Amino acid sequence: MTALLSARGVSRRYGDREVLRPADFELAAGEAVALVGPNGAGKSTLLSILAGALESSRGEVTRAAPVGWAPQRPALYARLTARENLELFARLAGDYAAVDPLLEELELGSGATAGTLSVGMRQRLNLALALLGAPRVLLLDEPTASLDPAQRELLWERLHRLCGEGGAVCFATQNVEEVGRAGRTVRIEDGRLLPA
Amino acid sequence: MRPALLLLRKDLLVLRRSPLLLGVLLAYPLVIAALVGLVASYANAKPRVAFVDEEGLPAQIEVGGRTFDVERTVDRVANEVTLVRLDRPEAERQLASGRVVALLVVPRGFVGDLRGMVRSPRLELETTRGGVSVRVAQQVQALVYALNRQLQDAYIEANLEYTRLLLRGGTASFLGREVDVLGLERAGALIDELPPGPRVERLRDFVRTARSALGETDDALRATANPIELEQASPTGRTWVLSAQAQAYAAALTIAFLALLLAAAALAAERDEGTLARLRRGLAGPSQLVAAKAALATVAAVALGLGIVVAFGLIIELGGVEGGQPWARLPLVAVGFALAGAALGALGALIGALAGDARTASLVAILAALPIVFLGLVPREVAPAAGHVSDVLPFAHAFRLFTGALFDLDPWPALLREGAWLAGLGAAYGVAARFAVRRLPA
Repeated sequence: MTALLSARGVSRRYGDREVLRPADFELAAGEAVALVGPNGAGKSTLLSILAGALESSRGEVTRAAPVGWAPQRPALYARLTARENLELFARLAGDYAAVDPLLEELELGSGATAGTLSVGMRQRLNLALALLGAPRVLLLDEPTASLDPAQRELLWERLHRLCGEGGAVCFATQNVEEVGRAGRTVRIEDGRLLPA
Repeated sequence: MRPALLLLRKDLLVLRRSPLLLGVLLAYPLVIAALVGLVASYANAKPRVAFVDEEGLPAQIEVGGRTFDVERTVDRVANEVTLVRLDRPEAERQLASGRVVALLVVPRGFVGDLRGMVRSPRLELETTRGGVSVRVAQQVQALVYALNRQLQDAYIEANLEYTRLLLRGGTASFLGREVDVLGLERAGALIDELPPGPRVERLRDFVRTARSALGETDDALRATANPIELEQASPTGRTWVLSAQAQAYAAALTIAFLALLLAAAALAAERDEGTLARLRRGLAGPSQLVAAKAALATVAAVALGLGIVVAFGLIIELGGVEGGQPWARLPLVAVGFALAGAALGALGALIGALAGDARTASLVAILAALPIVFLGLVPREVAPAAGHVSDVLPFAHAFRLFTGALFDLDPWPALLREGAWLAGLGAAYGVAARFAVRRLPA
């Protein structure tokens, strides 16, 4: 199978503390991978490195397809509205046409600034930002946290559709039920990747 | 540069949505500028000088036939210091504690020497070490000079009285003794009564020459007392608060605070909101991020700087203040504001990247802004080291550029020299900020 994303020997160190030990990781087309492990194990660090949001101390990441990323804590401008956030990042990503469909799909039409939105709405905006640029690979850090059941189902449907269309998903979760939705599980403990 | 422009637009929108922050950002540096103005004017305030009267000066002193009211004379000449009457022990105690900056002592025998006009009376001055002592010594010298000017007239008048006595004759008091002086005019009359002869003729010649010479003494004596006379015209030009210097300081100080704070906080806020990590994913690189923050500081600096210059100008025009406002120089000074804003913005971005979070960045920016400004205010002649440090910081260059662009007859030398400094500093801080952003954890 074609690897849409692969990492070789990536690690991350903050001073003397190694939060991610050298690891290899591959995400093939059509794959849904669940990343599990205790708090502080290195899941978010690995996803950030795979997404290109964090430089690895060593190793390299190869991305063969556009990658979307939703961090655990929504990364957005609190004083801009959902539309303004989406428009800014869409312009930066060169995908302005995606703004209106995403606002409609994720029900983000409110004119309120992001800082005043509910936690669930901010998470939806966070996911909408990950979907800009028509990504074929999605890296999601606890994506269903704060989502209501209906929105959660809509998200899973979208992710399965993406995998069915030759894309790939890797998501970090603490939820056992959600692990069952993945085709493969990768366990991470104390910064070390372990076979599940 | 499109990502930088998009981020700049976003930052301006965020700024517009934070009216309280915007208000504080505008008001704070203006308050600081006003306080600096007050401190600067305090520096010109009269120092407290103890006046120790060991002689027990009388209320009035007669010198050379003129009567001086001591209290009024001292008050009139002590323009630059505040004289506080104290006894010697209290004055020395206050000098030691710094409550007074100098002791001016009128020693015993002062009035006798003054009235006698034979020996110069002495005043004693004792100052603290260092600090304002040089300035106080100068001011006391000015006080003594002013007293001397007052006494000089009396002395000259007294000396002229003696000259007139020699010329016309009469009775006078000299060193406490009454003397009767014949005088040249009466001597001439007596000579005329003598039988003619060559010896009498010689005496007549002498008396004629002496009378002519003494007739010129009045002006000569006054000229000798004041070989050079300083004539002070009535004050002209702007008052300090509306001066060119105050205008340039207000603009430079306000821009320094605003640009540093805005750029530092805006860059650190990208990390606080988590958007730095999102932008790093190929949407906007460190250079574009730093450029966006420097551009934000530039826009704010130009808007605020022009606001200050226009406000000053309107006050000056409406108040009919002398000197006028150089409106034609507005485009030049706008270029200066842009360069200063960019250099200070790049420095602010560096502070923001090093500090990490917006709260720390704001605090560090405020803490950094004060010494940056004050280093620029310290005259190089007073502390050369401060001048060298200030050279690698944008404030002093900004101030010199604003002054030159607004008020120099030929603004181009200052504009080119200081503009080059600001551009160089902006580039250096920008490169450093870029590296700091790259190392900043997401």
